[in-house]
Amino acid sequence: MKRRAFIPTAVAALIAARAAAAAAPASTPASPGADAALPLADAARLRAILDAYRGKVVVLNLWASWCVPCLREIPDLVRIEKELAPRGVVLVGVSMDEPGDAARVAAFRAQHFPQFRTWLRAESELDAIASVVDPAWNEVLPTTYVLGRDGKVARRVQGAKTHDEFVSLIESAL
Amino acid sequence: MLPARKFVIALVATLGAPALAIAVHAAPVVVSTPDQKALAPDVAVGPKGEIAVLWLAKGDPDSAAAKAAEAERAQMGHSHQSSMNLYVAVSTDGGATFGEPVHVNHGDDVWGFAVSRPRIAFGPTGTLHVAYPANEHQAKLDKAILMTHYTRSTDGGRTFEAPRRVSTVTDSDLSGVIHGGFASVAAFGTMGVAPNGDVYIAWIDTRNMKADSSTGSVYAAVSTDDGRTFAVDRMMVADGVCPCCQLSIAFDGKSRPYLGSRSVTGDNLRSSTVARADGHGGPFGPRIATGGAPWHLNGCPLKPTVLVVRGDTIYTAAHNGAEKPPGVMLAASHDGGASFDAPRAVQPDALVTDAPAIALTRDGAMIAWHAKVDGPRRVYYRALDARGAFAGPVNALTDGDATSQNPALASRADDRVQVAWQQDDRIYTTAIAAPR
Repeated sequence: MKRRAFIPTAVAALIAARAAAAAAPASTPASPGADAALPLADAARLRAILDAYRGKVVVLNLWASWCVPCLREIPDLVRIEKELAPRGVVLVGVSMDEPGDAARVAAFRAQHFPQFRTWLRAESELDAIASVVDPAWNEVLPTTYVLGRDGKVARRVQGAKTHDEFVSLIESAL
Repeated sequence: MLPARKFVIALVATLGAPALAIAVHAAPVVVSTPDQKALAPDVAVGPKGEIAVLWLAKGDPDSAAAKAAEAERAQMGHSHQSSMNLYVAVSTDGGATFGEPVHVNHGDDVWGFAVSRPRIAFGPTGTLHVAYPANEHQAKLDKAILMTHYTRSTDGGRTFEAPRRVSTVTDSDLSGVIHGGFASVAAFGTMGVAPNGDVYIAWIDTRNMKADSSTGSVYAAVSTDDGRTFAVDRMMVADGVCPCCQLSIAFDGKSRPYLGSRSVTGDNLRSSTVARADGHGGPFGPRIATGGAPWHLNGCPLKPTVLVVRGDTIYTAAHNGAEKPPGVMLAASHDGGASFDAPRAVQPDALVTDAPAIALTRDGAMIAWHAKVDGPRRVYYRALDARGAFAGPVNALTDGDATSQNPALASRADDRVQVAWQQDDRIYTTAIAAPR
C-alpha cells in the first residue's frame, strides 16, 4: 500500500466500521460490552483469557489509539471475526495505551469500534503483557498473532494488513 | 543519594558460549527518589568531569496541569497520555555520589516516553543544556500541541532558567490524523553541543504534513551563544521522516552536525539513515541508509537511530524489525557517511535487542542496549574498535529479576563510559569499561 494513501483509507475504514457496527449483533458473552468501561488485563489475566478460548483460533491484536495504522486495520479484523466466527475464530484486542487511560480508550473504542473485543494493558511496561505470547516482541504496533486451537502462536505479523491478508493468515491456522 | 542495594556484576559472555569471565563495575548509584516512578534517562559528562543524569518521572495526577491535560485528552478523544516532570541530579566526584534531584520543567508539562526522551548535554564551558517535548495549547485552534522546549543551567545544575519554546507554533491542524490528536507536533527530538559550542536542537515536525501523508520533517533551532538565544527554527529535512522514530545528533571535529533518523520511502520501507549538514545553518544533505534487511512496516516502529562521529568514522546503531531475530544492528562508515559496512547484530543469540545507545571511547566506541535472553529485559554493552568492529564480548550490566532497560551513555575523560538506565521504576548510573 502506498503510504500517502493510508490516512484517508483509515478514515474510510472508520466510517465503514461504524456502519458495520450498527448492523452487528451484540458482543459475545465473553466480550467487554461496547458501553462498558474498558477492562484492564495484566499478563495473568491475558493468559486466562487465552486459555478460555482454547479450542478456537484466536486473533490477538496489539493496538493503540495513537497508532493510525492500527486504527486502519481494526475494522477489517472486526469484520473477519464476524465472517469466520462460525469456524471458531475469535478476535481479542489489547490496547497498549496507558493503563490510566481506561475511560478515554473505552470511549474511543465505543465511538469507532464498538464491536471490537479489547482489553487495556494493566502494567506500565508494554512488554509484560505481550510476553504472554511473545517474549521477543519488539514493541512495534500494530502486531497481530494468530493462535491455533492448541493455544500456540501460529503466525505473527507486524504493520497494518488488509482484510485479504488477514484471512489468508487465519485460514492457515484453521 | 542512596547507594545501590546490590553490587552489579557483569557476566561476560561470548556469542553462543556460556559465561567466560566476570568484570566488576563500581557500585551503581540510584539517582531518582523512592517516591518517583522514573523512566527514560539521559546522561552527560561535563568538561570538568561532572556528571549529570536526566530522567522523567510521572507527574502528580492531582495537579492543576495534570487535570487540565486530562480534560483536554477527554475532549480530543484519543491521545498519548503524558504529563511528566523532568529531574536532573549532578555528581562532582566522578559519579561516586549525586546531589539531590532538581526539578527542571515548570508544571507537569513534559510529554515524554522512552522513545521520545528528553536530552541533556554539557557545553564546553560547563553550561548544562536540556531539551524536551512539552504539552502546550494552541489558542487560535483551541487544541493541544506538542512543542520542543529548552532550558539551561549555568550553575552546575543547581538551578535552571525558565524553559523556552524553540519550535514555532503554526496553524497546522492535523488533530484528526497524527499522534494523539495533537494539532501539531514538534517532538521525538535530539540535542547536541558541537565542539565549537553551538547548541543544536532538532526534532520531528508535522507542520508540513498533509492529511494524506504519514511522514514528518526535521526542524532545528541553533544557538551560537551557549544557549542564551536561539535562531528561529529552520527546516533541515523536508519530508520522508518516520514520525515516531527519535532523532539523534553528533558532530565531527569541524562542528558539522550528523543526523541519525529513520526514513520512510516507497512501500513503507523504514530505513535507518545518516545525513550531514555543513555546520553553517544549511539543511542536512542526502540521508544515506545504513543498510541491512529491508524493513517494510505500515505501523509505528518507535525505533531511534543513534550515532557518534570521530573524523570520517561514524558508528551507528538501530533496531531493525526485518532481521532474524529482530534486533539492534551496528553499522560503521569510514568515509564520512557516504557508505556503510554491512550491519552486524550486537547480540545475535538474544531473543530481541532494542534501545541502543552509543558513546566514543579513547580508541573506539561503546554500545549498550537492552535485550531479553532468558528472563526480563537486561542491559548489555560491548566495546568497538576504531574501525567499528566488535572489540570484545557481550557484557551483561544487570542481572536478577529486575527489568533493566533504556540505557544512555556518555564518554568520560578516563576512557570509561558513564551509563544510566532504568531498573524497574528507578534510575541507576555507574561507569563501565568494556573488556576487550
